[in-house]
Amino acid sequence: MFLTRSEYDHGVNTFSPEGRLFQVEYAIEAIKLGSTAIGIKTPEGVVLAVEKRVTSSLIIPSTIEKIVEIDSHIACAMSGLIADSKTLIDKARVEAQNHWFNYDEKMSVEAVTQAVSDLALAFSDQEDEVYAMSRPFGVALLFAGVDENGPHLFHLEPSGTFIEYEAKAIGSGSEGAQQNLQDIYHKNMTLKEASKHALSILKQVMEEKLNATNIEMCTISAKEKLFHLFTKEEIEDVIKEM
Amino acid sequence: MFETRPSSVQHPTEHRFNPYEMNGGTIVGVAGEDFAVVASDTRLSEGYSILSRDNPHLYQVLPKTVMGSVGFHGDCITFNKTLQIRLRMYEYENNKKASTPAVAQLVSTMLYSRRFFPYYVNTIIAGLTNDGQGCVYSYDPVGSYEREVYRAGGSSAALIQPLLDSQLGQKNQGSFELNRSYTVKMSKEEVVALVKDIYTSATERDIYTGDAVFINVITKDGVVTEHFKLRRD
Repeated sequence: MFLTRSEYDHGVNTFSPEGRLFQVEYAIEAIKLGSTAIGIKTPEGVVLAVEKRVTSSLIIPSTIEKIVEIDSHIACAMSGLIADSKTLIDKARVEAQNHWFNYDEKMSVEAVTQAVSDLALAFSDQEDEVYAMSRPFGVALLFAGVDENGPHLFHLEPSGTFIEYEAKAIGSGSEGAQQNLQDIYHKNMTLKEASKHALSILKQVMEEKLNATNIEMCTISAKEKLFHLFTKEEIEDVIKEM
Repeated sequence: MFETRPSSVQHPTEHRFNPYEMNGGTIVGVAGEDFAVVASDTRLSEGYSILSRDNPHLYQVLPKTVMGSVGFHGDCITFNKTLQIRLRMYEYENNKKASTPAVAQLVSTMLYSRRFFPYYVNTIIAGLTNDGQGCVYSYDPVGSYEREVYRAGGSSAALIQPLLDSQLGQKNQGSFELNRSYTVKMSKEEVVALVKDIYTSATERDIYTGDAVFINVITKDGVVTEHFKLRRD
């Protein structure tokens, strides 16, 4: 009559007797296998930096995309099962454009994150139910952007929980990187300083040697409120100054 | 070109339900440097009958945003209710109250969403921009909208708009000047006095306007309402 303990992780929406949703917890574990992504918020704007695992010399690195534009004022970095992010990114982009269409203003970073978080728990393995997914999303997202209240950095995980951070690391190197962020972070950092810190922390947690092709970086400056993805040359300049 | 039938032939008369009614009423909006004024009379009519003498056509949708809405009364109140719901949802989703320009865009999309069975309404939105300037937006029934310095809407619009052009726009009175300002240079007291005169004059000629005028003055401190009596015949 009662299911054995290990059977509570078969259904994606079944609570265990201790009140846990195992499939959601496993999804959060999946993030820890992903490449590292770092976000730092400063008064001058927000910076995102991610590691790209170029596992073969025949891979064209520019096709690994782990930082995307949501709207001109919001960027998103990801770690985990990157394919799962496509649905979420699509939702974020549609919501941001809908907001502009309906209200003639830029959507706030929190509102975008909130909208995407609605999808995080929209999964079911019942065949007769129509949901976005058959299992939890195996990806964590960092939403960085500038709105009317200044720069913001939000972390969203597969459980749908989202929290604002001053600085946050996700992915396989996140434990070490988060500790490093805590040590170097101060409230009046410049955006340039934050970019250099982000890269040097990435360098420490990456297995491969960091160079301009195996990372991605972007900024959203508080002044221009514009997404800017660094070119290879711009990344090289930051690496030189590190 | 026209099909003619011999008058001796009997043909059936078609009886159709007409979903619309014109219930009269006049609204006026004026944008000042740090205030906006929106006014309406309080008469509600149907043909030669007066349905109400104390029904202002103003709807405060947010603490500093007021909508003036005239036309078919049923559509006015339903549109107002729907707008209130959308603005409350906006507040929950975005953790803030919508700005007047955001309300202005929303009203346009809401009206256009009924492009093929429109709300029979003339709309004016008045409030303040994000930097505290007075702003007035006017709409046609299907959501075409524009930010304007002043605008009259409703049954006396054709009477009042030329007067506003003369008194607020200084149109055709001397050297031509391209006006790039979105506000009038008058004080709120001057605008309120002008609005009272305007309604007194419109009431003289239009049977669908009268009884009293409600004047809402919107500033950074909120909305202040003033009443003024008009002819009741």
